[in-house]
Amino acid sequence: MKYFVKLVRPYLIWSIVIVIIPLLLIVLYSVTTGGNDLINIQFTLDNFKKMAEPIYVAVFLKSFRLGLISVGICLVIGYILAYLITFFSEKVQNLLILFVTIPMWINTLLRTYAWISLLSDNGIINSVLEMLGMEPVAMMYTDFAVILGLISDLLPFMVIPIHTSLCKIDHSLHEAAMDLGANPFQTFWRVTFKLSTPGVLNGIIMTFLLSISTFVIPKLLGGGQYMLIGNLIENLFISVGDWNFGSAISVILAFIILIAITCMKRIDKETGEEE
Amino acid sequence: MIHKQLRKRIWGGFSAALLLTGLLTGCGASSKPTLKVYSWGEYIDTSLLTEFEHEYNCNVIYETFDSNESMYTKIQSGETYDILVPSDYMIERLIKEDRLQPIDWSLLPNADGIDPEVMGKEFDPDNTYSVPFFYGTVGILYDTTIVDEADLQDGWELLRNEKYAGDIYMYDSERDSFMVALKALGYSMNTTDTDEIDEAYEWLIEQREQMAPVVYAGDDVIDNMISGNKALAVVYSGDAAYIMAENEDLRYLEPKEGTNVWEDAMVITDDCTEVELAHAYINFMLDEEHAYANTVEVGYTSPVIEARTRAAENDFAGLNAYLPDATRAQDEVFRYQEQETKEYFSELWTKVKAAN
Repeated sequence: MKYFVKLVRPYLIWSIVIVIIPLLLIVLYSVTTGGNDLINIQFTLDNFKKMAEPIYVAVFLKSFRLGLISVGICLVIGYILAYLITFFSEKVQNLLILFVTIPMWINTLLRTYAWISLLSDNGIINSVLEMLGMEPVAMMYTDFAVILGLISDLLPFMVIPIHTSLCKIDHSLHEAAMDLGANPFQTFWRVTFKLSTPGVLNGIIMTFLLSISTFVIPKLLGGGQYMLIGNLIENLFISVGDWNFGSAISVILAFIILIAITCMKRIDKETGEEE
Repeated sequence: MIHKQLRKRIWGGFSAALLLTGLLTGCGASSKPTLKVYSWGEYIDTSLLTEFEHEYNCNVIYETFDSNESMYTKIQSGETYDILVPSDYMIERLIKEDRLQPIDWSLLPNADGIDPEVMGKEFDPDNTYSVPFFYGTVGILYDTTIVDEADLQDGWELLRNEKYAGDIYMYDSERDSFMVALKALGYSMNTTDTDEIDEAYEWLIEQREQMAPVVYAGDDVIDNMISGNKALAVVYSGDAAYIMAENEDLRYLEPKEGTNVWEDAMVITDDCTEVELAHAYINFMLDEEHAYANTVEVGYTSPVIEARTRAAENDFAGLNAYLPDATRAQDEVFRYQEQETKEYFSELWTKVKAAN
């Protein structure tokens, strides 16, 4: 056994260098001022105090609202899709899951550009509308465009874990439920959905994490003035060069995500224990 | 049109990747000298890079940035390059921080072709460190089929004319956006007076309310204006020339209150060891034919007189944005900002963008 413990060491060193040190640096940046060089630093909590300004609070709220909306829609579409896929034979299922993941083979940037040429004021959708004699609709640089972009980007992350846990459900449980007098809805709700909660929760966690920290999609589909937490952090690091404040926001974001995941895990555990 | 742009980008990325592979595979066999160039995106005819590599038997790694600030952040975080192509105020900052090497002008025979008007700007009065690459102004690109000729008299205030609410693109850059507001209010764009800066901040915030939605666009403004998505856009003169060549309904306006006269120049960093090769590269870019290829490819105004004249007479004939008027008294060049001023602007800029 001891022999194997040694094998863990390279991984430990790797995670210290790649994960732990950068994390500590972010925390260090967040509680100091004095520029990005870390030469003459002073400890302060001003960076966190700044977050309380209404403008930044609004950015946080907007990010959460958008994140929750996209996760919600993803959940509905993703669950239906995953559920329908389970009705096919195993071979076909694998093929269908492959189709779900195909968009992920293409770079996000390229996919987002495709949305731009579809949605823009003189884009493909509006040209079609015009041909049909309808008024063009302004879709670019709206919540709609950003949510659409997010959903199309995140859907695979919802479908795959749900599909995995749906697959694991023993079909005889359905038969048992039916035999005991449950109607199809009850069977679905009290057996299928219940047993798929781990997948649902994993899907929610993954899509929520990705949607809350995204910055490319809102920047391209929402315009440079469309500020979510990810954009705020990117802006502070890349163009403003205020790494201290940027780190403080990252720390708060990480903290919120941690709380969210803990809550999710707890729900997962509780539903597991009930069985 | 969008597809053309996209294709250009993909090919750009592809050729950059090719250059990189060329480097990786070439590394082991020969010890060819390597030149790392860091410049603006879509700012060069990339075939020139291959030509240069062949002529001087070297490798060129060409990387791009989308703002002076992101360029600075990258080199500050330890990345090294041989040649940079930043703008005026950023060059001034790099000079002040001792990050550049002086240019040996005797190694640049092609420099004779540069327009003397473009040389000796305040940020580097004797051109000790910088060799002009492109120059121009910032102005308003407007759609003649929508914008009323009489409204042009308003100068920058045109961008707060509620007739065009929801129909404007601002430029996603801290200094240029504040430039618009400061000039509209009649102040210098290099002001350090916090009252004036606060007023400019209010101007921008009010604009976002009055003209909602105000879109702060980056390079995407090019595709969008070519397809005529909005009536007004704050753009750089070179982008304006490029866009106007594709969409003839557009005109370029340099507002009466004055604007930013900018210059992007090639500089050699302190880290550069292949100094001679770096000079060869700069000289290569100043060659009349090469400067012409670059200017035609991207639409920006070349400081090389012959190349500029040829482009202005042929490729960009009749487009006022290609030959911007950079001599008006009310125009200014961006200057280096002290840390305190810079931070003051930055915080307000973050708030402008986050306002809703």
